[in-house]
Amino acid sequence: MMHGTEGHFRIIDGKKKSRNYKTFKDGKKKPKDHGARKNGKKKPRNYGALKDGKKKPKSHGARKRWKGFLWILPSFLGVLVFYLLPYADVVRRSFLGAVDNRFVGLKNYQEIFQNTAFLLAVENTVKFTAACMPVLILMALVCAVALYQSKYGGIIKSAFLMPMALPAVSVALAWRLLFHSQGLVNYWLENLGITGKDWMNTPSAFWILVISYIWKNLGYDIMLWMAGLAGISENIYEAARVDGAGEWKCFWHITLPSLKPSLYTITVLSFLNSFKVFREAYLVAGDYPYESIYMMQHLFNNWFRNFSFDKMAAAAVAESVILLGLILLLQKAWDSGVE
Amino acid sequence: MQGTVVKQNAQFLRRMKYGKLKRAAGILLSAAVILGSLAGCSGKENESAGNGNTGAAGGESTEGDSGEQGMGRFLEEDVTLPITFSNIYDMKKLEDGTIRIIGNNGDDNTKTVWDSKDSGANWEKAYDAPEELQDEDNGYIDYAALSSDGQSAWVYNQIGDGGIKPILYLVDKEGNGSVIPFELPAAEGEPSAASFSMNVPVDGESSEGSETGQGGESSEGSETGQDGESSEGSETGQGGEPSEGSETGQDGESSEGSETGQGGESSEGSETGRDRIKNLILGVRFLGNDQILVKDMADKIFQISAADGSVKQTYDFSDTEESHQVFAAGSRIVLAASSEVLVYDAETGELQETEEALQKSIGESGFFDAVDTADGGESIYYLTGGGLYHYKFGGSIMEQLVDGSMNSLGAPAFYPIALSMLDEENFLVAANDINSNSPGGMALLKYTWSADTPAKPDKELKVYSLYNNREMRQSISSFQKEHTDVYVNYQVAMSEENGVTVSDALKTLTTEIMAGKGPDLMILDGMPIETYIEKGILKDMSSVFAEGGSYFENILHAYQDSQGQLCAVPARFLIPAAQGGSAYYTPGEDFDTFTSKQGILAKMIPEATVEKFWYSCGAAWQKEDKTLDAAKITEFFTKLKNAYGAYDSSAEDDTTAVSISEGGVVNELQRVSLSWGDFDLAFGRYKVNVGLLSKLDYGMLDAVNRKLENGGYGLMPGQAENVFVPAMVLGISSKAAQPETAEELAAYLFSQEAQKVSQYGGFPVEKEAFKSAIDGHEYAAANTEGLVGVAGGSGVNIDERLDYSLVPTPEEEIQKLTSLVESLAVPALLDDVIKDSVIEQGAKVLREEISPEEAADAMMQKVNIYLAE
Repeated sequence: MMHGTEGHFRIIDGKKKSRNYKTFKDGKKKPKDHGARKNGKKKPRNYGALKDGKKKPKSHGARKRWKGFLWILPSFLGVLVFYLLPYADVVRRSFLGAVDNRFVGLKNYQEIFQNTAFLLAVENTVKFTAACMPVLILMALVCAVALYQSKYGGIIKSAFLMPMALPAVSVALAWRLLFHSQGLVNYWLENLGITGKDWMNTPSAFWILVISYIWKNLGYDIMLWMAGLAGISENIYEAARVDGAGEWKCFWHITLPSLKPSLYTITVLSFLNSFKVFREAYLVAGDYPYESIYMMQHLFNNWFRNFSFDKMAAAAVAESVILLGLILLLQKAWDSGVE
Repeated sequence: MQGTVVKQNAQFLRRMKYGKLKRAAGILLSAAVILGSLAGCSGKENESAGNGNTGAAGGESTEGDSGEQGMGRFLEEDVTLPITFSNIYDMKKLEDGTIRIIGNNGDDNTKTVWDSKDSGANWEKAYDAPEELQDEDNGYIDYAALSSDGQSAWVYNQIGDGGIKPILYLVDKEGNGSVIPFELPAAEGEPSAASFSMNVPVDGESSEGSETGQGGESSEGSETGQDGESSEGSETGQGGEPSEGSETGQDGESSEGSETGQGGESSEGSETGRDRIKNLILGVRFLGNDQILVKDMADKIFQISAADGSVKQTYDFSDTEESHQVFAAGSRIVLAASSEVLVYDAETGELQETEEALQKSIGESGFFDAVDTADGGESIYYLTGGGLYHYKFGGSIMEQLVDGSMNSLGAPAFYPIALSMLDEENFLVAANDINSNSPGGMALLKYTWSADTPAKPDKELKVYSLYNNREMRQSISSFQKEHTDVYVNYQVAMSEENGVTVSDALKTLTTEIMAGKGPDLMILDGMPIETYIEKGILKDMSSVFAEGGSYFENILHAYQDSQGQLCAVPARFLIPAAQGGSAYYTPGEDFDTFTSKQGILAKMIPEATVEKFWYSCGAAWQKEDKTLDAAKITEFFTKLKNAYGAYDSSAEDDTTAVSISEGGVVNELQRVSLSWGDFDLAFGRYKVNVGLLSKLDYGMLDAVNRKLENGGYGLMPGQAENVFVPAMVLGISSKAAQPETAEELAAYLFSQEAQKVSQYGGFPVEKEAFKSAIDGHEYAAANTEGLVGVAGGSGVNIDERLDYSLVPTPEEEIQKLTSLVESLAVPALLDDVIKDSVIEQGAKVLREEISPEEAADAMMQKVNIYLAE
């Protein structure tokens, strides 16, 4: 008589490990296998055809696996049609001419790495990311911890989310109002006896963009950090406090390590969000902004307008390879941290 | 135990049941999503197909649900007029079926009435107007209208010591005239917006409308732009009296070049004339056969008895801004403005309920140009730039019968005067069409229903431009007339309404071209022409010129590549020119000499000034590697600033050019036209006038030169020499769906006929057409002798006036300009990104906000990124 659920096996590191066991009347545990025979000998697994050519009905596990695949099929088809195939086409186009589709080998790659506009855009994008991400992540963490401990945290965190609700166009208009050569900032500075400047046409434009990005995304990151904080059991803190740990030690030895999984998510999402800052820069300064805020998206935008699909494709492939590498590195770091 | 097993089984079965339910629900939802997406896509297809029907075939005949091609369309043909009419006042189908036309005989200037019993095939003179109406020495005929029983009402403007006095005559069907005892009261309040709007020039140049003055008639309502743009149709008037245009003059300009009249009578449009005018009749219509509707210059409408002139009703619109056109439909009076249609009961004078569909239609179809009635006045047919429409009073829909974009009705220089429905399948349109083959510019067109012609031609040719091009619109009309199997779909990317930027438009264009849905023929003005050539977007057009032709090769080959291919060809061009008195300017002098005279460009608009010199200098900045020479740009800003002198914003506001530019719609080239500064030059506000010359108005040019004493004109000094500005640059897409038809249209656009179409977009590149555009041949006719043009100032300088002779251009002037054109060798740099940056920084320099060096640095910073891309 069979009791309980049937056992499942999975292969880990090449070894078969049992997760559930079937309990027999004699109280001995015996590994459960679909292939097990009455005499206790194991029959080799064979999901394929028999020698006589007749197909043997597929086992329950195989059917289940295929059913699982069927369930993800619509989603996979979406990914295939909207991501993988277009990406493959982009890779193909990176070796072709812009409009005539003539094979040009690696010429497009050579061109983009000699293209000063591309190099400037890459430099600015890297600089922007490097300047924004640490500041944003740290600020969000500090705010999240403070808000988590505050009894008004719930209300205040909503206020931090407000910038996300503002349309990019409104933000751009506010920028213009503030940072135009005859805008409000210069007006206020003049009242203080300080000479203003054309903010968006000087190196200051870069820092305006950085601040704008942090202002807009801080609330979102706070939410993510707070979600991470909520996942840490209070019992651990209590046990630590019983052992004499102070607040700082709790933060350093319990909170921070426990937030490591959140760090990965927050970093990736913040990184992806950093690309959206182009909208504000574009709306304020158009196709050709001051050089310090000339981003990859400006370049792609302008290349598209001028039919430079060859360069676009090569740059997109190069960028995706770098981004994928970065994300894999981050994931690896996270995985090793978890283990 | 058993109980436990049963319980477990029950749970299992329940899970199984719910599991199945979940799966079924999942499958159903997935199916719904997929089907929904597909339905969405197909719905869109249906929708676009439906739109296509509406847009192309209009109400003629729509395609069925099966997708079959709808059949039936009105086809257009010219009707030969019996004489050369220099103006047609009205045309009507009389009760006995006769078609009657009243107009002005261009050969002897008589006012005459002609009849046709066979729908326009043969004509015979009914009578000439009575002698008192022929008196050209003491006045002129301004308007006339026909009743369906053959009577006519004439407005004779009598010129006397007391000024101009309008007299209303009634002429019976036999031609016997009598004065209608109607005394037009003095105008109350301000004249209606369009009262003096007759001759607003196309590009700010004066005296367009006055040039053909044949005694001062005008046509009603002919100025309505085809697409709501600013009126550029002032030239319709055959003499330049005020007409009832809708939007002309709404910008508050005074008319430049108001009227001529024979022998140079005082001008209504001038301040002097206006002082002596108490009121004028600006429109007349019959209401039935025994009443007349008279509209005055204050937009007040009088419903009077034709017999005794007694006023039955008055409709006062003197306090409205819009001008109202008056039409009669049975016992209804239809008053149409550009945004509303009012219907009055002629018996009671009461405003009837708003005809919602008609009201809505005016927003879609545009201003009414001409109206005819049917069913005893229960329904109306009306013409707009969009075509012919039909509406039954009390109905819920407006029906488009003819799509104007497929024939002359939609042409920008086509101004309908009268519409006459012969029956449901035939109608006549009398129109002012300066591009018609008729010497007097009057055209009579017959439209006939053809049941076996596809409602929408099978072949669609897509033409694209960033900005509206009137020459293209005009030429498309003529082309389609000859090619009834081709539907030319002209798409203009940017308009005042849609707010699209150049960059957005180009991105959309890129998408469409790469998706295989792009245009066949493009006007490349404002586009990155050289990039398109490099990328292979444009195909070689050399075959278009295979049959030869006499062109200015230097212009034609502006974009010829190293392999001799002509992928982009300018159909027109403009000349950067300067004009001034000898004290300040010597034709032919170089940029250094010119700009060394400090303040010589004072009082000009900074942006326009920088743009003008960008054309004459930009070509010198490009180095061989296509990058820009920073030193030359710094030199440009420095020297230009020296020539501009100290900035004085108050002085800038006084100029006529500013008044005009603030007045209304300004197209890309108007702001930099040479003619915009001629009044400022003539009256001393400018020392030298610079700008782009797009046509030769010799009379005006000469008048300014004479006023300046020793004035002259020549090429604009610049860092580059012998520069011209390519315009209407045509290119055929290498991915064109209809390459052969695109070539046919391109060939037509370079033909002498199309090149002679003049809508002020530049000089024709074809030599004969060029000569025709500058020789003033329209003043060569015997009866134009002694005509004078009168140009008036505008804005703050409304008192200024310049008189000049309307005579053919002297041969030496023709030779001079022709040699000048032949010497042109360098196409101006037409890169909008660089141009915008130059203007932005240059204006700051002229306004003393930054130094020339700072400006050059800022400009180079942006332009370098652009060039590096």
